[in-house]
Amino acid sequence: MKRIIIIALFLGSVLPALAQEKPKLYTIASPFERYTHYLATARFMGAVPMGSFKDNYIDKASFQNFSLSIEWVLRNSPLSVGGEIGSTYFEKRVPRALYEGSEGTISAVQTRTVSQYPVEVFSNYHFLPRNSQVQPYVQISGGASILDYTVYYGTLSSQDQKVRFKYGIGAGSKFLFKKDGTLGLDVRVKYDGTAYKYDYIDKGISSVNGSIGLFYRWW
Amino acid sequence: MFKKASFLLLIVGLGLMSCSKDPISDLSNEESLVYITNHDKSANFTQYKTFSIVDSVLIVENSRAGTSLDDIDRAMLQRLITNMESMGYRHVGRKENPDVGINVSWITNTYLNVYQPLSSYYGGYWGGYGYGYPNYYSYYETSESSWVISMLDFKNPQTTPSGKTFNAVWEAQIRGAAIGDQKLVDKMADSIFGQSGYLKVK
Repeated sequence: MKRIIIIALFLGSVLPALAQEKPKLYTIASPFERYTHYLATARFMGAVPMGSFKDNYIDKASFQNFSLSIEWVLRNSPLSVGGEIGSTYFEKRVPRALYEGSEGTISAVQTRTVSQYPVEVFSNYHFLPRNSQVQPYVQISGGASILDYTVYYGTLSSQDQKVRFKYGIGAGSKFLFKKDGTLGLDVRVKYDGTAYKYDYIDKGISSVNGSIGLFYRWW
Repeated sequence: MFKKASFLLLIVGLGLMSCSKDPISDLSNEESLVYITNHDKSANFTQYKTFSIVDSVLIVENSRAGTSLDDIDRAMLQRLITNMESMGYRHVGRKENPDVGINVSWITNTYLNVYQPLSSYYGGYWGGYGYGYPNYYSYYETSESSWVISMLDFKNPQTTPSGKTFNAVWEAQIRGAAIGDQKLVDKMADSIFGQSGYLKVK
């Protein structure tokens, strides 16, 4: 909830700028065509666990994921580069069961969680001109995930916190609300992988997430 | 402009980080309980016929110790007796040479290792003996209270230079936020025996 408020505040600080119509003094190409410009995107994501992460630890989809990115849309190039930070969270409750270990038998209701705060750099390749109203793109990203693995046995917890390499590949599209406008919608599907091995997780944390976002661009 | 934007992003980022989740806030009292049991794998429980139990609960709080016998303690002791009897052991007084002794403690500990400060407190009740204690668990390093119920082998005492010591052949810990809930006492006692089928002698 707090996060949504933060994003709303962020958008709130951005929206008033839209009201100021820029006078059209020249009939030359839009500044968005002529200059390298900036683009900020706030995304809400739904994520589905994949692979052994899904099989061994959490198989429940998560809708508590958010991210913010900022990018340079490069002049004379189909590429943009930028950075993205986010928060993703997976959780699963397992009913009371017995867990056998060298230390004994534990009977508990287990709550499995993984939180990640990914910090990534990314590059987008755009298929259409950068001022077209629909801008499909593919994305590759890499960076670090500040992660917290916590398994609760009842109210007791066993925790591991690490910073690990993460990467992602995605495809999506930007949709400008109006031609040559500054505001638009971003839709993206992305595969995320984090190199991590601990306790139940033996082959990393992988998920596919679909996101819907709002972007604002300026120069 | 970009500098400003990245600064904003940083602030929002810190905001995201500081949101802490509480995934266990919806657990019921019963669900919050964790039962941990362990036993000496070499022990042959069928050799034991009789047991005795402490007459009050040992309260250990960091470096202080005492005993307590209020309603919840009485309920716990009574239910442990019921369970031991249904496992096939006969309840006898502590002067009648019981084969095993049941110790019940309520431990509040803020040390990392729950077991280190314990050994010296047991001696008194069972007649001033020393006490050998296998270090079974060490991996929940939190500050909290727990019930610790252990079964001491009186039949096979170890002789050491400092006197006789008894090994704990079975131990159960009950942990979690609701261990002081008297309505759950029966459930707690039944659970630790329920998951320790090897104790059955009949």
